[in-house]
Amino acid sequence: MLIECENLVKTYRADAGIFTAVDRVNLAVNRGDFAVILGHSGSGKTTLLSLIGGLTRPDSGTVRIDGVDNWQQDDADLAIMRNRKIGFIFQFASLIPTLTVLENVLLPLSFASRPEGDRPYAMELLERVGLGGRQDDLPGRLSGGQQRRVAIARSFINRPEIILADEPTGDLDEATEKEILAIFHDFNKQGVTFLVVTHSRELAATQLNPRLFLMKNGTLSEMSSL
Amino acid sequence: MKKYFEKQRNLLDYALASLWRRKGKNISVFLVFSLVIFLLASFLFLSRSLQVAAQTTLRQTPEITVQRMVAGRQESMPLTYAERIRGIFGVRRVSPRVWGYHYNEVTGANITVMALAGDPELGREPLAEGAFWQQGEQGRAVIGQGVVKDLDLGGRRTFSFFRDDLTLKSFAVAGIFAPETNILTYDLVLLDIADGRDLFGLADDLATDLLVEVVNPLEIATVARKISERLPDTRVVTRPQIQGTYQAVFSWRSGVAAICLLSALSAFIILAWDKASGMSPEERREISILKILGWQTPDVLQVRFWEGFALSLLAFAAGAILAYVHVGYFQAALFRPVMMGWSVLRPGFDLVPIVQGGDLLLIFCLSVLPYLAATVVPAWRCAAVATDAAMGG
Repeated sequence: MLIECENLVKTYRADAGIFTAVDRVNLAVNRGDFAVILGHSGSGKTTLLSLIGGLTRPDSGTVRIDGVDNWQQDDADLAIMRNRKIGFIFQFASLIPTLTVLENVLLPLSFASRPEGDRPYAMELLERVGLGGRQDDLPGRLSGGQQRRVAIARSFINRPEIILADEPTGDLDEATEKEILAIFHDFNKQGVTFLVVTHSRELAATQLNPRLFLMKNGTLSEMSSL
Repeated sequence: MKKYFEKQRNLLDYALASLWRRKGKNISVFLVFSLVIFLLASFLFLSRSLQVAAQTTLRQTPEITVQRMVAGRQESMPLTYAERIRGIFGVRRVSPRVWGYHYNEVTGANITVMALAGDPELGREPLAEGAFWQQGEQGRAVIGQGVVKDLDLGGRRTFSFFRDDLTLKSFAVAGIFAPETNILTYDLVLLDIADGRDLFGLADDLATDLLVEVVNPLEIATVARKISERLPDTRVVTRPQIQGTYQAVFSWRSGVAAICLLSALSAFIILAWDKASGMSPEERREISILKILGWQTPDVLQVRFWEGFALSLLAFAAGAILAYVHVGYFQAALFRPVMMGWSVLRPGFDLVPIVQGGDLLLIFCLSVLPYLAATVVPAWRCAAVATDAAMGG
């Protein structure tokens, strides 16, 4: 079991009182799975992803990545885990505007080795997401969809075991969306585990044998089919 | 270990690149920071320079100077007073001195004329050319660099001054004081005492004042008191009193200037703190993204530290170098009137900036360290919060 959540609960204080974003969620994702969590906006999908990625501390319950409880680790080990095991694709592009496209892609490698050593791989990833030749541009010169593709290239630069993706094809046109999904498919075939949250049933439908989950009002249930 | 250094190098790379990426903002901070350091360092270098100059001056100050007072004004002193002082236990030597001013109507300069008997202390000061006159040798003068200019001597080595009865007294230039003694000798004409009496029309048994040397410097105050008791119509001034007066005036002025400069520095630090603590949403988001990508809070702090350190160190170096040039080359044009304004008769002299490790450390501690705190602490506050700010949704 690569990702394992048990009785995960996360609440937030809101003006109207306590809001339960994630309510006693249990989830098990095997190595090599392509798991899609469907749900409407505000159903708690992004919060669940943050909990799994070790970005947010749950009120109760556990998250285990490769058998290690996220919140039994100190900050340093958690950061190392995020850096080495997980590639994040956020709901928005989340690039650093003052870094070039290539520098953004190389950013997660700041600690592993000299980033220049992985430059060819970064260039290859940029080619694969259709941004060959744009490596020296600043993000401000790219469209929203192009920025999203840079973020996708960045998520793969560390050769992670897990990709946590939040609406990864949200801003993309249909052709680019297909290209990106094909890339996901390729990496998934190579053994990378995907956990994707989306409200788009189309994204789920394009993958071969995805595991489907439905998130509703903070609770999660597995679906047998769309 | 290799990995650690690679990581540090990467963080440093990132910090320097980050500085460059925000060059507009950082150049502004650099300029203001350099200006503050420049002002502070100029002030300190100038203070040290003046202190050293003052020490040089005071080194030449007589241990005790005795002047005769009549109706509250200084009067010429009969040499019989010298004999009475010599009788005091602890007095090593009593030398008569004649001094006054010669006003040069052409240049408007006041030239100090000093005439000494015997082996003058000033006779130990180095000369740029020539030699001191032999004892009793008359009509010869050793003059300062400023006198050469005031009298427009050029290659000429003779000059004349008017006596009070408008007759001329001529002198041959025996020597010219070296420039490094300017603070003492710039406007000075040094003569044998007989020439001084002749120039100022003073009788042979009179002097302007008496210079007293004591056997034991710790006994200066005691000897001075005995002179006062024995010669109640005299004013007795000791070297420690002159030092004290000088220190009081200098400390007051330097204190006022220091308060002004420290206020400017404080304002800058407060401004830096305010700016740094109000991190822009972009900066907060950047920190959040970095943490999501695996950076740890200490990594973020190190980057901010290197950014602040590089910027403040450059500003520190630039400010200190400019201050050195300001004091050494431009003679502290900005501060000289403030620090030296009390002495309108002070001869011109070249300031040599005195750089002491302690002063540099003080400036460093007053400027670089607060700036580092002002950049790192807000980043720490931001980096320590939850990392999901960049996730959205």
